[in-house]
Amino acid sequence: MSNKDDHIQMMNRRSVLIGLGGLCIFNVLASRLYYLQVVRAEDYRVLSDKNQFNFNILLPERGRILDRYGEALAMNKQDFRFVLVPERVQDIDKTLNKIGKILPLSQLSRKRIKNDIRHNAKFIPVLIDEHVEWSVFSALNINLPNIPGLVPVEGKRRSYPNDGVFAHTLGYVGKVGQKPLESDEDSLLRQPSFRIGKTGIEQSFDKVLRGKAGRQKVEVNAIGRIVHEWESDKKEATPGQDVWLTLDAGLQRYSASLFGEESGGVSVIDAKTGELRVLLSMPTFDGNLFVSGLSSSKMKALNADPSRPQFNKVLGGGYPPASTFKMVAMLAALKSGLINPQHPVFCSGKIELGDRIFHCWKRHGHGWMNMHDALQHSCDVYFYEIVQRLGIDRIKSMAEKLGLGQSYDLGINGQIKGIIPNAVWKKANNHGTWRTGDALNAVVGQGYVLATPLQLSVMVARIANGKNAIEPSLIINDNMRSANTLDINPDHIKFVQNAMLSVTERAGGTAYRPGALGIPGVKMAGKTGTGQVRGITTAERAKGVIKNKYLLWKHRDHSIFVGYAPYDNPRFAACVLVEHGGSGAGLAAQYCRKILSKALKDDGMANMGMPIKNEG
Amino acid sequence: MRKLINKLNELNWFLPVLAFIVGCIGVAMIYSATGGVWGLGAKQHFIRLCAGLILMLIIASIDVRIWFQLAYPGYVFALIFLICVEFFGVSVNGSQRWLDLFVVRIQPSEMMKMAMVLALARFYHDLPQWRVSKPVGVIGVLIIILAPVGLILLQPDLGTALLLAATGIVFAFLSGINWRVITGAAVSAAIALPLFVQFGLKDYQRARIHTFLDPSRDPSGASYHIIQSKIALGSGGISGKGFMQGTQSSLNYVPENRTDFIFTVIGEEFGLVGGLGTMVLYILILGVCIWLANQCRHIFSRMLIMGLSMTFALYVFINMAMVMGLVPVVGVPLPLISYGGTVMMTVLAGFGIILSAHLHRNKELPRGSGLLLSFR
Repeated sequence: MSNKDDHIQMMNRRSVLIGLGGLCIFNVLASRLYYLQVVRAEDYRVLSDKNQFNFNILLPERGRILDRYGEALAMNKQDFRFVLVPERVQDIDKTLNKIGKILPLSQLSRKRIKNDIRHNAKFIPVLIDEHVEWSVFSALNINLPNIPGLVPVEGKRRSYPNDGVFAHTLGYVGKVGQKPLESDEDSLLRQPSFRIGKTGIEQSFDKVLRGKAGRQKVEVNAIGRIVHEWESDKKEATPGQDVWLTLDAGLQRYSASLFGEESGGVSVIDAKTGELRVLLSMPTFDGNLFVSGLSSSKMKALNADPSRPQFNKVLGGGYPPASTFKMVAMLAALKSGLINPQHPVFCSGKIELGDRIFHCWKRHGHGWMNMHDALQHSCDVYFYEIVQRLGIDRIKSMAEKLGLGQSYDLGINGQIKGIIPNAVWKKANNHGTWRTGDALNAVVGQGYVLATPLQLSVMVARIANGKNAIEPSLIINDNMRSANTLDINPDHIKFVQNAMLSVTERAGGTAYRPGALGIPGVKMAGKTGTGQVRGITTAERAKGVIKNKYLLWKHRDHSIFVGYAPYDNPRFAACVLVEHGGSGAGLAAQYCRKILSKALKDDGMANMGMPIKNEG
Repeated sequence: MRKLINKLNELNWFLPVLAFIVGCIGVAMIYSATGGVWGLGAKQHFIRLCAGLILMLIIASIDVRIWFQLAYPGYVFALIFLICVEFFGVSVNGSQRWLDLFVVRIQPSEMMKMAMVLALARFYHDLPQWRVSKPVGVIGVLIIILAPVGLILLQPDLGTALLLAATGIVFAFLSGINWRVITGAAVSAAIALPLFVQFGLKDYQRARIHTFLDPSRDPSGASYHIIQSKIALGSGGISGKGFMQGTQSSLNYVPENRTDFIFTVIGEEFGLVGGLGTMVLYILILGVCIWLANQCRHIFSRMLIMGLSMTFALYVFINMAMVMGLVPVVGVPLPLISYGGTVMMTVLAGFGIILSAHLHRNKELPRGSGLLLSFR
């Protein structure tokens, strides 16, 4: 019995021990609870809020790009699309069939839709189709009650009207690539529907156009569904700013219409301020194609086109300026004082230099030519003669003074500097030592010389202005840069201007067509250029140079014309380049006359009758 | 009939009342965790609670001698079921725990928890005190414990296996086993444990242990549970966010917050006060159980009550420690509060047996009648 009592005693003891052990464990748990809920409470409260709240990004509307008169060149168009919320759909196939009756869905897009549904949470809307026509959109809208889960969405989409006439300048927007994501912290870039500027103004002014993201505080649950939106904690998005360009949309459209199938570039510049009125590269491409992503076959077609639609020829195309370079040589010669402009030179159609023969464009020569006549008739031999006395360096420095061989601060990428060669340049670029023959080629704007249509228009604008070394500008209110003085003797300028007038207004001028602008009392001065793209062999010359129309397109000469008007009070300067368009007196001169005429008429010069007297 | 009323009069009412209070906390918390929808679990929980309490009273009125008789056969049955699970079991979540009996699906490991307690109580009842630390006692206990533990590990269900092993250890301790044997067992366990972790565990079980040791390693994966659960508890602070105001649970950040992680809802909505209050209720239940046990004449009844209440306590400890991030995540519910029918029924049936043992504490039980352990 006592044995059993002992046993009971022992069990009582041990059961109490077990109870105490249990209390110890509860003590540990309670301490842990105290640690979590009192000591660390604040940390966990923050984490809990982070879990609970999210900030939804509100997309700002992208700023527009406008021409000088406020016409929108890049804008945001209503975009209609449909999304499907899978959790509200009973039978996906039936629903897609119903939708397909009004909005045709390809087998491929059906597959994509089903795939998207499978890979996302059931409450996340899946895109059915975007850029839906208004008629289809409204037809489907009427049927919405029969198709549960289908949600119409109106959004904004970048749109470029004008069939791409401004494509090279504006550029386009597209999906955000990897590079900007790495360097730009902006939360907008992480939004799937956000589009970033890829080229042109869209790219260089992206931060201005983009605007600032708004945000809205939302409560989300563990799988990301929005449970509540706080209207009070909402910051509206700040829309992007508009960018105003100096371009004249009407004039640019008109210029583009002249080109037809031709390829080339036009630059029209305000000779007083440097504002660009036209900056056109032809042919163009449709920037709208890039907004929603271009298919690879379309991309290939665009890249394979020999006229290179995507290439911005007016800024990035380096062409031999040909005879339009002769004004540079003239001004250099006048400045040097080495050449008497009245002193005649005999042109026999060619000169011999060592064992090489340099030809004038006129096979049998111009006869006796002074400086004025040499420009009017574009006599090559005259310039071959004077460059041998001047040396290339004087010409190079004058060319740079007139704006060649450099790029300008336009606010967009894609400019090239072009080439104004001399001995130093030739050596540095591993073309060997400078020869007199190089100078002879250079003085008529051939050989190594390369310039862009933009640079040539600046050159003419500076000659036309005469006082200021005007800088081209593309953006309005871009703190009107005060141009430097040109620092060329006004008499020399006057002499060259007069010779350029003879080109168009005096019988025998290479582009002689008096009164061609069609505005009474307003005259245009200019200069033709015929840029040779192929070497002409001695043998061919002996038989007679092959006419352009018998050559392959890519072997034909570039047709170049630079000019300004009105002669008495220069307002606009222009350069027109038609790739492989034949002689400068042809297409380019014809286009340039029409463009300048329209520019002046639009500017209210048509009814002026009497030109304003140029002061100073 | 009068006999039944007499019995109910003699019944200790502390335990049923405490169980009902804790069960009602469960109803409220499930109601909150399911976003205030009565039908998503709270209702079922309440019905089960009531049904379980009735079941408890019925079991309580059954003479403890029936349990005494059923101890070994019940254990053998449960063992057979466990073996059947190996061959015919239904897989749920990658482990084979359920047995489909056409009418109901049962979880033999749950049955075994009670069956093993009965078997051990019977074993120690029959075993003379002086043999407890002798080879017969030690080996007998080891067989009774390790046979089901091994089978359950095969399913695999680490949580239940550990629970059974721990219950067995408590039993051995209560039986007055020699401190020498206890020390020896502790040393051999210390040696066996690392080997077991390395070779005896499935990958997902090892992953749970790794996650537990370094929860920040994989925030959205396995350790997501622990992190979110700690956030829920911690953000509750001292007084909590208020009933139905817990964002962590209402927005479903804490998975399984209706079942195994229900304590996070208490902690988030009622803070430290609610958490400690719940613990106090559990301590009271355990205190009552120990008090009841020590009133019994027989080793069997004492062992039975202690064994069942210790199983209950281990559930509570492991669940709370898991939710607070003190032990790895194992699928152990919080008794009476977590949503789940089997657990509710097992726990309340267990309480019924405790009450029955206490009610019949003065009934005669034959000693030394089981197995061949009675010779002296």
